[in-house]
Amino acid sequence: MRLLSTTDPLPHQPPAGSNIINSSSRSSDTNAEDTEDVIDFGFKTVPRQQKEALVGQVFSNVASSYDIMNDLMSGGLHRLWKHRLVETLAPFAGMQHLDVAGGTGDVAFRVLRAIQTAEQIDRQQPQQWQAQQPQQQPGQQQQQQQQQQGAVTVFDINAEMLEVGKQRARAQGLATGLSWVQGNAEQLPFPDACMDSYTVAFGIRNVTDRHAALCEAHRVLRRGGRLLCLEFSQVSLPLLRQVYDAYSFNVIPKIGGLVAHDEASYQYLVESIRQFPDQESWADQIRDAGFKAVTYENLTGGVVAIHSGFKL
Amino acid sequence: STAAVLDEALLAKLVCPLAKTPLRYDVEQQLLINDELGVGYPVVNGVPYLMPTRGRMLHQEGQEEGQQAGHS
Repeated sequence: MRLLSTTDPLPHQPPAGSNIINSSSRSSDTNAEDTEDVIDFGFKTVPRQQKEALVGQVFSNVASSYDIMNDLMSGGLHRLWKHRLVETLAPFAGMQHLDVAGGTGDVAFRVLRAIQTAEQIDRQQPQQWQAQQPQQQPGQQQQQQQQQQGAVTVFDINAEMLEVGKQRARAQGLATGLSWVQGNAEQLPFPDACMDSYTVAFGIRNVTDRHAALCEAHRVLRRGGRLLCLEFSQVSLPLLRQVYDAYSFNVIPKIGGLVAHDEASYQYLVESIRQFPDQESWADQIRDAGFKAVTYENLTGGVVAIHSGFKL
Repeated sequence: STAAVLDEALLAKLVCPLAKTPLRYDVEQQLLINDELGVGYPVVNGVPYLMPTRGRMLHQEGQEEGQQAGHS
């Protein structure tokens, strides 16, 4: 049995060669800057209402080969980038973390493991911890130690990506502390100020209304909470830029065709990278959503950047 | 382990994506319901589908509800 809303614009099996006509109207269109009814889809221009379904089709197509393709496309570099992202995040015991657009779980699993490591360390050093607390009954202390257990929620708009993620979690023996939720980053189904941190890795450029997604990120973060965004950015060095462009446009779609039998989806992925704002512009957009102390770090000569902002 | 039912601990952390108010879990229909708006969001294999466009107006689809319950 499969429950599908009659207004569901996202097909689970993308029909071959057909156009996606999104017949459902958007529930809210409150972005003040949204005066145009078209938007970029890679290098193409599409009606704004269609972007979500088109992107959905891309990721449904690539979901099963997503992790292999990441390795092939980035020469394994994506692992280093994600490692740096989680290192920057510096997870702590009891952290409540939200990983958005992280369907296959790469970042979420790393964060969860880091939280669990921190919690293990805490348990092994009770003397240090107790010294900072006022005099308590032993029972109370135990209760307090058990109260704040870290939790990572993996959030994605695409069901196929989440399914791949769940399977990977099972294969790696990860279960406790991990939750899976489907939804739209522009309208998060979480209460205000419930998260310590929010990551989005290689996902924000696919969101139709990025400002809405940033505002939602700001809303669900607690005071002092941190947003970290890992995303492809602009390479400034001319020579590196040429090599990068040549590799992106000539090699990646071909690999996509050979390995994933889907050149078009990888063409979209490569094009969507070029359409994303540069480091400074993206930092400004993050500030526009209310984040403070916004900074960024370039990795691999600007091929990717990690943007950071705090809710203060 | 096959988690076909929504984890209650997760339920406590979820709200309606539109109204940002708590949801009621109907285990039989596998729906997360916002009673105020009369909207139900599906839960499939323990995963809540909380996109606003996945929400179904319940009072308008009383018939469909009956049909869904009949399927397995």
